[in-house]
Parts: sequence; structure tokens; C-alpha cells
Amino acid sequence: MLVSTERLDGLPLVIVSGEIDHGSSGTLQTELDPVLDEGATIILLDLSDVTYIDSGGISVLLSAVRRLRNEGWLAAVNPNANVRRLFEIVGLKADQGFRLFDDREAAAAAVQKLTEQ
Amino acid sequence: MSGTSRCRTISVAPDAVRLAEIRRFVEETAVEAALDEEKIFDLKVAVSEACANAVEHSGGEHAPLEICAFVYSDRIVFEVSDSGDFRVPAAQLRSGRDNRGLGLPLMAALMDEVCISKTPRGGTKVALSLLL
Repeated sequence: MLVSTERLDGLPLVIVSGEIDHGSSGTLQTELDPVLDEGATIILLDLSDVTYIDSGGISVLLSAVRRLRNEGWLAAVNPNANVRRLFEIVGLKADQGFRLFDDREAAAAAVQKLTEQ
Repeated sequence: MSGTSRCRTISVAPDAVRLAEIRRFVEETAVEAALDEEKIFDLKVAVSEACANAVEHSGGEHAPLEICAFVYSDRIVFEVSDSGDFRVPAAQLRSGRDNRGLGLPLMAALMDEVCISKTPRGGTKVALSLLL
């Protein structure tokens, strides 16, 4: 698993690739923690190149969702069909602190719309 | 169950970093059994969850995990055997807020059958079945 953080329209954009499992999820947690600690209310998480995720990875996402839920959300960008299916099974998809987008632009547009209101 | 079973086995040290290796084994077996991509993904997750649970409860013991794959004409079965007790983390039983313990519900959701039993040597065996 590889993970890096960039910015898109001023928002933190965390890009992950490979397999997020019980062995690698700690690395994702370490990447997300400072972003959460600096007070981000919306985090974009690009999962386009994630080929696998299990409860190790999902636990990290759930922790982030819980911290963001009251003021914002975690935006998962372009997860593959299998990853989406797991998000649905664990109830992540229905969580108010979680959003799914097909691409980065759609996620950024939703944030833009939010700030205009 | 019907048909002849072909059995494949691997033995892996109880360490989370070895899970990827176990998933390659699952993938190879499932591809050979001509399963579709969705079922292969589900098996990889379910077997990983069973192994991660075994790793977590290995209690520092170094006895290897054993994973056996059986391919029948109507189903594929992966058995994960370890030398420790299967436990649902106590914190998760007390509070639904804890993320730990998602593994078992995921196994149940993705597989057609999940069977947890004691082995004669005092370990735990998790059998995961998926209909073809």
C-alpha cells in the first residue's frame, strides 16, 4: 500500500493505492491523523487505485468518519465495485459522515456548493 | 457437498504482514476453480479476516496458521486453523462504537457458510464456504 497527501482547492486529498489490510492500515491511520488533528472538516480520499480493503482498513475509515461526522465528511473518491460493496455491508455508505464520489472533480464541486450556501 | 475435493494447503507464520501472501494463495486457488472476480474478492476478504483474527489471538505464539482449500463441484471451502482460542474482542462486546470485531460480521455477510470449531489440539478452525 502507498499513501500520500496533496491539496485540491485547499482541501486535503489523501491518495491511496494497493491493498489496505490489517498489516498496512496503520500507515493509512498515520497519514490521516495529522490531517484530522489540524482541524480539517472535509477530507478527500482517492481510492481509485485501491485493489483490496478489509476490516483493518475499514476501521481506519470509520474512525475518521466518526471524528468528521458532526461538522463534515470523509469523501471517498472512485472506489472500485468490490470496495463499494464492502462499504455498503458495513454501513459506511449510509453514514452521514461519509460520501462517495465518482471522481475528484465531483467531490470538489460538492464542497464548493456547500461553501456557497 | 458433492464431487471430488482437490486440496491445497499453505502454512504461514501468524503475522499480519503475511496476509498478502495468504490472499495470493486464495486468489490462485479461486482462479483455478474459475470463480468470478466478485467471488474471488469476497474469499480474499473472508480468509484474511479469519487469519487476522487468528494472528490477533495468537498471543505471541509462533505456531503457524494453516490454510487448506477444498474445491468441490458445488462449492469452495477454505479452512483456517490456528493454535489459539477464537475471541471476539471484549471491548466490542461492551460497545458498538468500537471498530474492532468487524471481521466476523464481514465473513458472515460475504460467505454462504461460516463454521467455527475447536481443533483436537486446542486451537480454532474457521471454515469458510462459498457456493459456486
